[in-house]
Amino acid sequence: MSSGQSDHIRKAVAERNKRPLANKFMDWIRDNPEGGIFIMFIAAQAAAIIFGLLFPDQFRYLAPANITVVLKSIAPLGIMALGVGILMIAGEFDLSVGALYSFTAIVCATVSNNLLGDVGEAEASAVAPFIGMAVALGVGTLAGIVHAFVTLRFNIPSFITTLGAMLIWKGGTLLYHGARALRFKPTEPFATMFGGEVGVVHASMIWFLIFCVIFYYLLHHHKLGNHFYAVGGNRNAAVAIGIDPARTKYIAFAIAGFMATLSGIVAATRVGSIQPGGGLGMELQSIAACVIGGLALNGGRGSILGILFGTALVFTIQDVLLLLQAPAFYFEMFVGTMIVIAVIMNTAVRRAKA
Amino acid sequence: MASNTEGSSDWLYEARNITKKYGSFTALDSMNFHIAKNEVVGLLGDNGAGKSTLVKMISGINPPTSGDIFVNGKKTEIRTRSDSEAAGIETIYQDIALVDSMSITRNIFMGREITNRFGFMDHKKMEDVAIDILGSAVQISGIDDPRKEVGFLSGGQKQAVAIARAVHFKRNILLLDEPTSALSVRETEHLLKYVGDLKKQGTSSVLVTHNLYHAFMVCDRFVVMSHGTKVFEATKKDTTIEELTDHVIRT
Repeated sequence: MSSGQSDHIRKAVAERNKRPLANKFMDWIRDNPEGGIFIMFIAAQAAAIIFGLLFPDQFRYLAPANITVVLKSIAPLGIMALGVGILMIAGEFDLSVGALYSFTAIVCATVSNNLLGDVGEAEASAVAPFIGMAVALGVGTLAGIVHAFVTLRFNIPSFITTLGAMLIWKGGTLLYHGARALRFKPTEPFATMFGGEVGVVHASMIWFLIFCVIFYYLLHHHKLGNHFYAVGGNRNAAVAIGIDPARTKYIAFAIAGFMATLSGIVAATRVGSIQPGGGLGMELQSIAACVIGGLALNGGRGSILGILFGTALVFTIQDVLLLLQAPAFYFEMFVGTMIVIAVIMNTAVRRAKA
Repeated sequence: MASNTEGSSDWLYEARNITKKYGSFTALDSMNFHIAKNEVVGLLGDNGAGKSTLVKMISGINPPTSGDIFVNGKKTEIRTRSDSEAAGIETIYQDIALVDSMSITRNIFMGREITNRFGFMDHKKMEDVAIDILGSAVQISGIDDPRKEVGFLSGGQKQAVAIARAVHFKRNILLLDEPTSALSVRETEHLLKYVGDLKKQGTSSVLVTHNLYHAFMVCDRFVVMSHGTKVFEATKKDTTIEELTDHVIRT
């Protein structure tokens, strides 16, 4: 009798697996928040490409220069959004990543420059930039762990902890370095590894995709990823079943700090210098990319694919507006509208399924 | 009476002189409770009697303020969920303890994923086992996709998933805190029968319920609680539903 029930489920599963690929794809789009974003992304791309073909002189979307710029500038936000997204799935926020991005990049450049890692030095050191990077990544990860400690030890909302941390890191950057820009022109092979190009694809884009793959396996296929979802989705249930929420969140905070640092270093390598205020606003942009990509603000829901599409969609829109020579505030208005629309869509999808 | 460091070896679990305080409030007051081999204990009492506190204490997520715990006659510290898991205890919680945003399979294996040695999950194997156990404990109406998010299930279906999970991982003791509150009549019958079958296979259960008829169907011994202490205890052959009802209402 009992096996009858299992057979019934098996039959239903087999039945679903037999659907044509097109149907599976349609169901995936309907059932997943990132499905809707995927459609929006494709629609935005299609529209931009059509207009680019129709008016190649006025709207230079398909010009090689534009494609190169897009593939260069997408990575820093994407890398930061990966860390922020994983932390959001685990049920916490990090508002300090933008400030940390500038602070740690300056740490990296200062260490590297002091160890003669600048290409302009007479006896330039090849390892110095790597040492600078390692120190900065250590500082960033440690900062994440400190955010976790304060949040969890005193049981306060991470929104508050990291709001405070944002101001502290921002002030710390000015205290430590001052408001002037810092030169960062690292020696080879660092410069090529993080600032080179393969065809039109910038190295930073490759690093972004590598980390997408790493975090895809971590989040969707490793048990730690399962714990992120469990702790973010229902903390009490996770405790009742024997998952340690504190340990899980420490790791998530550390990842957010690490990725913010990596993002800062990658951006600094591309630009060749660091503006102490350069990362401000990026924390909200990365949270926006995550929310547009279908991550739930209260945790437990989201995917790497969603973060990727969310970031890509934000950038497509920014690029289109730049090409139309629209003033910068249009971009903010567009992203603001999209956040609200994305959350309305995801909520509607969820309600329709229930 | 056994010494202070040794419990009865016939008992799977014994809590002796257990007290649990929340600030100045005493939720459990010098309570003695045990679970023998091959028995189903009915834990009864009105709301606020301390039943759920006792269940959470046995399952390790709410350790006692003072008192001793013995597992198989040996004094044991059970202060976390991993301690109770090591002692072979599984719990079906009143508030179900599932994550709505995760699939049925992921909920069943939450914290106990089937992985390779690097910690990567074997999705296929977990889904296979999930399908097996979904068919075993309760006849769940309408679940046909182990990948479905738990948030989209009905109350009864959720409870069935929680039951299936606990039943799969239990070894010695299964604690059921109000397990039938969201189940249909047919599903309830099936679950109670299953608890009886488990006893034959050597797993003892504690059934917390308000429904004395359910308790009388499957339990061998009854413990009635009130205000954090035991007020009545009797085996099935020494008592009647009327007497039990009387103790639950009167105290």
